[in-house]
Amino acid sequence: MSLFALALRNVARNRRRSVLTGGVVVFGFAAIALSGGFMSQSFEGLRDGTIRNGTGHLQFADPAFFAGSEDAALEHGLPGSDRAASILTQDPEVLAVLPRIDFVGLATNGNRSVPFLGTGLDPGPEARTMDTAKLLASGRWLQDVNERSVVLGSGLARALNVKAGDAITLLATTPEGVLNALDATVTGLADIPIKELDERYLATTLGLASELLVASGRVSKLVVVLHEPADATAALPRLLASLHRGGIEVAGKTWEELAAFYRQVRMLYVGIFGFMGLVLVVVVLLAAANTMMMAAAERTREIGTLRALGTRPSAIRRLFLAEGLILAVFGCLGGAILSLTIRAGLNHAGLTLPPPPGVSHGMPLHVNLYVTAYAAAAFAMSATLVVASWFPARRAARMPIIDALAHV
Amino acid sequence: METILEGRGLARTYWLGATPVRALQGVDITIRRGELLVLQGPSGSGKTTLINLLGLLDHPDGGTLDLDGAPVATLDENARADLRRDRFGFVFQSFNLVAVLTASENVEYPMMLKGVPRETRKRRAADLLARVGLVEKTDVRPDLLSGGQRQRVAIARALANEPEVILADEPTANLDTRTADDVLDLMSVINEERRVAFVLSSHDPRVVARAQRVLTLCDGRIVATPSAP
Repeated sequence: MSLFALALRNVARNRRRSVLTGGVVVFGFAAIALSGGFMSQSFEGLRDGTIRNGTGHLQFADPAFFAGSEDAALEHGLPGSDRAASILTQDPEVLAVLPRIDFVGLATNGNRSVPFLGTGLDPGPEARTMDTAKLLASGRWLQDVNERSVVLGSGLARALNVKAGDAITLLATTPEGVLNALDATVTGLADIPIKELDERYLATTLGLASELLVASGRVSKLVVVLHEPADATAALPRLLASLHRGGIEVAGKTWEELAAFYRQVRMLYVGIFGFMGLVLVVVVLLAAANTMMMAAAERTREIGTLRALGTRPSAIRRLFLAEGLILAVFGCLGGAILSLTIRAGLNHAGLTLPPPPGVSHGMPLHVNLYVTAYAAAAFAMSATLVVASWFPARRAARMPIIDALAHV
Repeated sequence: METILEGRGLARTYWLGATPVRALQGVDITIRRGELLVLQGPSGSGKTTLINLLGLLDHPDGGTLDLDGAPVATLDENARADLRRDRFGFVFQSFNLVAVLTASENVEYPMMLKGVPRETRKRRAADLLARVGLVEKTDVRPDLLSGGQRQRVAIARALANEPEVILADEPTANLDTRTADDVLDLMSVINEERRVAFVLSSHDPRVVARAQRVLTLCDGRIVATPSAP
């Protein structure tokens, strides 16, 4: 028999009350663990989506390009991008280097003109490393780097009333400010998840973009895709150093720096779930404090007896804190089992969540086994129970012995 | 006989709202090794207050209390707790056993506080329970014991750390006549066997009849001189 064993028996003394308090801990733990898993899955999905939908892990361009001071497409284009791509490719962590030309213009079907956000790219490597080609709803992806074809977002195609196989004309301003126009064939339509982008998306080959902008040999930027698991933050300075050693002065950014949407969604989720977590902790705190205070009040005379027999006040405090911790441990174990069960059920059910703001497609509901969330839940619940036990414990330890013994 | 505990001018005042209640008013008392002392007096005379002060359960407002010649009234709470654990045993009117512990575990509890090894604790608890006639009740919880059996467990618990003084406040008040006699017999025998001093408070004449010395309290003062039967 030890102080801990006595605490364990005290918890079991009023089973119904302990089960109710433990139940609150179970649900509090499960809520934190499951919402953490859902957040983790959402962040992971958003990260992968951001990287694979065109941003890549890293981007290298002229510093002025990142500063947003480009008045016309390719005004700050990278000359000699082939050499830069060659240096980058030598790094063992680099999977692919994708040259891109960003430009804007008007697409017309002869009757109607619609503005677009265009990207000139190399179709082969893009299809191998990015998910854009997988978003095709009809037609086919671009094939040859010099092909005079385009893939349109479904929204843009609807606005132009065109389908795969139709011809359109592209108008854009060259870096020198001259308006140029070229005919192109629509080879495919892609469903871009973000609605606003879907209504402006146009992908074409580097060859057509260069010809339209009359800027052969220059690109806007180099997009780098790393082998997974990738650490873009660590790779950036290393790759920049390699480029600088090769005499190429460029700036670089990680996907997280470039993805404002990702950062905003992350902040939103952290805010929402943080608030929910706080509410849960308060609920658990109140329930547990009620249990511990009732336990202390009901056992006042017994506490007096223990003190009379020579138990130090600190041991009385430890006894109550141990009771709180025992409730926390059992509650967390139950919470972990409940979380894993609900997680398995949800992941098996194949549910789809409504699309978040600005996104045209719903997200499949999947809850990750996010160990950090389980650890955070265990810590939060244990700390809450300890805090809830502390005040009754202190009161019990400070009570005059003769008052406690005389308590009825 | 050798003096263990000595109080001089012990005073204690309680407050009922704004009204002072002078429970003890300058009591001088000496407890000697191995004696059986009974404090008698009417309700409210100060018997329980004096037992509480002698057992370091409460602080006197005035006077001194020496244990083996060393002052103990002003010790800090931890030192007082250690002295209660090591030097005193307590028997309460309502038995005050820990409900979630078995008879054996209740007896072991003071030994656990003292850090006695588990095996020694178990063996000594079994011996003590056998001594108070409860050898077959070691694993029974208090709610399944009779009043007399509970008080026997409480006596065994009081003896756990081999104290020099056992303080018993109205130990037979909640027992029927026959059980009370049995408990008093047990206390008397232990008192003689182990040379443990017993200080009992009671107004039961059967308890007083067993005393080696009787102090009578009235209105917080000792009104009768010590006597030995």
